[in-house]
Amino acid sequence: MKKLFAMLLVLAMVLSMAACGASAPAATEAPAAEKPAEAPAAEGSVYYLNFKPEQDEAWQNLAKEYTEKTGVPVTVLTAASGTYEETLMAEMGKSEAPTLFQVNGPVGLANWMDYCYDLSGSELYSHLVGDDFALKDGNAVLGIGYALETYGIIVNKTLLEKAGYTVDDIQSFADLKKVAEDITARSAELGFSAFSSAGMESSSDWRFKTHLANLPIYFEYQADGISTTTAIKGTYLDNYRQIWDLYINNSTCAPAELSAKTGDDSLNEFRNGQAAFYQNGSWAYGDLTGTFSDDELAMIPIYIGAGDEAKQGLCTGCENYWCVNKDADQADIDATLTFLNWCVTEGAEALANDMGFVIPFDTAVESNNLFARMANAYIADGKTPVSWNFTTMPSEEWKNMVGQALTAYAADQTDANWDAVVTAFVDGWASEYALLG
Amino acid sequence: MKKKNSALSTVLTVFLSILCVAWVYPIVMILLNSFKVETAISTSGVFQLPNAATFAGLANYVNAVGSKGFLSAFGTSMVITITSVVAILLCCSMCAWYITRVENFFTKMVYFLFVFSMVVPFQMLMFTLAATSDQLKLNTPWNIWVIYLGFGAGLAVFMFTGFMKSIPLEIEEAAMIDGCNPLQTFFMIVLPVLKPTMISVGILETMWVWNDYLLPYLVLDRKKYTTVPILIQYFKGSFGRVEMGPMMACIMLTVLPIIIVYLVCQKYIIDGVVAGAVKG
Amino acid sequence: MVKATKKWWPIFVLPTFLAFIIGFIVPFLEGLYLSFCKFTTINKAAWVGIGNYVKVFEDAQFWTSLGFTASFTVVSTILINVLAFAVALALTKGIKGTNVFRTVYFMPNLIGGIVLGYIWNILINCVLSIAGQPLLALNNKAGYWGMIILMCWQQIGYMMIIYIAGLQSIPGSLIEAARIDGATGWQTLIKVKIPNVMPSITICMFLTLTNSFKLFDQNLALTGGDPNHSTEMLALNIYNNFYARSGAAWKGIGQAKAVVFCLMVIAISMIQLKATRSKEVQQ
Repeated sequence: MKKLFAMLLVLAMVLSMAACGASAPAATEAPAAEKPAEAPAAEGSVYYLNFKPEQDEAWQNLAKEYTEKTGVPVTVLTAASGTYEETLMAEMGKSEAPTLFQVNGPVGLANWMDYCYDLSGSELYSHLVGDDFALKDGNAVLGIGYALETYGIIVNKTLLEKAGYTVDDIQSFADLKKVAEDITARSAELGFSAFSSAGMESSSDWRFKTHLANLPIYFEYQADGISTTTAIKGTYLDNYRQIWDLYINNSTCAPAELSAKTGDDSLNEFRNGQAAFYQNGSWAYGDLTGTFSDDELAMIPIYIGAGDEAKQGLCTGCENYWCVNKDADQADIDATLTFLNWCVTEGAEALANDMGFVIPFDTAVESNNLFARMANAYIADGKTPVSWNFTTMPSEEWKNMVGQALTAYAADQTDANWDAVVTAFVDGWASEYALLG
Repeated sequence: MKKKNSALSTVLTVFLSILCVAWVYPIVMILLNSFKVETAISTSGVFQLPNAATFAGLANYVNAVGSKGFLSAFGTSMVITITSVVAILLCCSMCAWYITRVENFFTKMVYFLFVFSMVVPFQMLMFTLAATSDQLKLNTPWNIWVIYLGFGAGLAVFMFTGFMKSIPLEIEEAAMIDGCNPLQTFFMIVLPVLKPTMISVGILETMWVWNDYLLPYLVLDRKKYTTVPILIQYFKGSFGRVEMGPMMACIMLTVLPIIIVYLVCQKYIIDGVVAGAVKG
Repeated sequence: MVKATKKWWPIFVLPTFLAFIIGFIVPFLEGLYLSFCKFTTINKAAWVGIGNYVKVFEDAQFWTSLGFTASFTVVSTILINVLAFAVALALTKGIKGTNVFRTVYFMPNLIGGIVLGYIWNILINCVLSIAGQPLLALNNKAGYWGMIILMCWQQIGYMMIIYIAGLQSIPGSLIEAARIDGATGWQTLIKVKIPNVMPSITICMFLTLTNSFKLFDQNLALTGGDPNHSTEMLALNIYNNFYARSGAAWKGIGQAKAVVFCLMVIAISMIQLKATRSKEVQQ
C-alpha cells in the first residue's frame, strides 16, 4: 500500500512537472482561455496601477461598480507610497502588465515613452478641455492629465480665532510668521501649536521635498520666464529656508523628531486640535470632513516671501497623467479606453466627490471639495494660482536627496546643513538631469 | 577549588540571564505596544507600558485581521511554504540519491551546477527570474514551488548527497537483488534512513521560504496575493500612511506561531540546524 | 545496480533539474546577457557592450556601498563569532538553566529579516529619541551599529548551537589529560578546545561572512539605506538601481553590479573553501 502511494506520488510529481514544461510555449494562450470564464459579457480587462494611495478605496469602489455594470473585470493595484516607479517597473515586466498606468509629467513620460499608446483618437481625449493637460510627443497624445488638485496651508479657523486672528490677517509671509511665532510663544496657554508636525517619514515627506519645494522652483521659473530647466539656480532657496524654519520651529514636536513622524501623525495632530496649520492638499479633505465642518476650515496660500504676495493664490496643478500600455492586447487596450471614458463621464461625480479631483474634462461636475472650491474662489478674486512645477524635477532620487538634507537640517539647524540642502537642490538637479540623457 | 567554581557559575548564570532578557525584550516590547491605541505609539513612548488611557484592547488585532488582509496573507504564506518544502524534500532527495549512486559525467556536471547555484546571490537573477516565472505563469501560491525548488535545489541536494555518501550500499544492493526497482529501493530502503537529514533540510528550507520577502514580492501575482513579510513591509507607507498599531499586531501574529512551533519542536530544530551546518 | 538505476533518471533527476533550469540556469544566463544591455523590460533590450560595467565602477554609490558592506561584514563576522563562542563556552559548563538559555538565544533565527528589521527600527528609534540623538533616518552611525546589533541578536544563537555541538564532540579524555598536565583553563581553551572546534569555526565564519555580505531584508527594513544611501549595502543598492531609479540606463547598470557582486561572493566562497580544505588535510 505504502509502495503504491509512493509510486502515485512520484507519478503525480512527474506529470505536474511535465505539465509545467508543456505549458511554457502555450502560456500566451492560457489567459485567453481563462478570460471568458471570468467575464462572460465582454472581452478584455483593465488593470490599473494607481499612484495615489489616498484614493485607493475610492478607485476600488469605482472599479467594482464598473464591473457590476458591464462585466468587464477591472483590477486596481495601488503602490505603497514612494514605491510607484518600483512597482511599475516590476509589473510592466510581467505578461499581465498594467493596461493603465500613470506618469508624473514630462520627466516621468521620458522613461515610459516606448510603452505609451497614442490616445489622440480616443473618446477620452475628445472630452479633454485643452492640450495643456495632455503630454504630447509630436502629434501623438501619450498621457492625459486627469486630476487638478490644490494644496496650501489648511487652517483650523476655530483655533486661529482662539489665538486672536482670522484668516484675513494672513496675507504674506511676514503675517504668517508673526501669527505662527505668536502662537508658539503662547502655546502653553493656548493648548495648541502653530503647525502640525512636518513629518519626514516616507508617508509624509513628499509634502515638503516635492510640494513645498515647488514654490522656490515656481518663483525662479517666473522670474526667468521659463517653464523647465536642466540647471536650476536656486534663486529663492533662502525663502525655502525661511518657510521650512517656520514649519519646524513652531510645530507640535521637536525638530529632531521629524524624521520619524508619519503622515498619520501630522493628520491626527491637526484633527485633535493640537495644531492650527497643516500643509496638505484637496485630497486630504475626506480625512477632515469627519472632524470638521466646512465652516471651520480654510486653505491659504503658502507664502514664502517671494514674488507678488498680494496676488498669490493656492498651488493648483496636475501631476497625474493616465497612460495606456501599448504592449497590452488590443482587446485590453479597448477595454481600458472604454473604462476611462466611463470614468470621466458617468464616474465624474465619484472623481469629483469621492476623490476630490477637479477634472479637466468637459464632463466635469462641480466638486463638493471645499479646498477645490477655495482654489476657484482665489482665482475669482484675481489671484494667480501657483502652478505645479515639480513635474519638472529630474527624478525620485533628486526628491529623496533634498528630503534627506531637509531632515538633517531640521535636526540640526546650522548653515552648513542648509548648504547641504542647497547642494542637493542645485547640484543634484544638474547631475540627475545629466543621468537622464 | 570547588567554591571558586560555584561562584563562577553564579556570575555566569546572572550574566546569561541578563542576556536572556535582552533577547526577549524586543518581542515583549512589540507585544505591549500592539495593545496601545494608535496615537499612543510615538517614537519616544515605545518603552511606556499601556495604561488605561492608551490601552486599545484587541482593536489593532481586529483591524489587522479584519481589514488589512492578514489572514489571506498568512494562508498564502502557508501554501507556499508547505508546497515548496515538500517539493524540495521529495525531488531533491531523489535527485541526490541518483547523483551519488550513478556517477558519470552528466551527474557530476549537475552536481557542480547545484553547488555553484548555492553561492550565487539572489540579486544576480532577481529580474530575470521574475520575468521567466511570469512567462511560465508560475506566479500563484500553488505553483511558485517550482521556482523555490529550482532556486533552493542547490542547498538541499548538497546536504542530501553529503549524507548519502555515508550510507552503506549493501542494503540497497540486497533490495535490488530481491527484485526491487530503483524507485522501490529508494522509498523503502533509503528514505527511512534519510529521516534525520529530511528534518534538518526541511527546517532550513521552511525557515527560508516562510521568511522570504524579495522572491515572492517580485514573482507572485501581486494583484491577487500577498505573503506575510510583504504585508508587513506594505504597512510602511501604503494606504497613504503608516499604521503602527495594526503593524505591531501583524508582527505579533507572525511571530507567535513561530515561537510556539519552536518551543514544541525545539529539539528537532536545534539538532536539524547542527546537522545542517556540519554537513554544509 | 548502477546499470539498473541509470535509466531511471527521468523520475529521479528530471523534476529537480527542470525546475533548476527554470529557477536558476535560464535566469542566470539571461542575467549575464542583460548586464551588457540597456533595457527597461526584458523584451526590449539593446546591446551596449561593456558600457554598464564601466559605469558601475564610475558610480560613487557603488564604492560607498561596497565599503559599507565590507566594513559591516568584517565587524559583524568577528563580533558574532567571538560572542557566540563565548556563550557556547559558558553553556557547556553545565550550569543550571542551560537549556532555557539555549532556547532563548536561538529564537530570533526563526523570525524573518523584514520583521526583525522593523522590531529593531522601532526599538532603536525610541532609544535614540530618548537620548536626544538624531533618529535612524539621519544617523548613519546608529544605522551601522544598529545593523550590527541586529545581526548579532539574530545570528549569535545559531552560531552558538554549532559551537556547542563542536565543543561537546571534544573527547572528555583530551581535556582531562590537559588538566592532569597542569594546564590552566585558558591554556586548555587555546591549546585543546579551539584547535578541536576548528571545523565549527570555519563553518560559522563562512555562514556569517556570506550572510552579512549578502544581507538584504534587514537592511531594507531597518535603515532602508538612509540617510542618503550611506547605509545602503550592495544587495540593496542593486535592488534600488533596478527598481527605484528611473531611466532605462539603470537597469543595465544594476544587472552589471549584480554580476560583479556575484563574482565577489564566488571569490569569497572559493577562498573559504580552500581554507576549509587545508584544515581538513591537517586533521
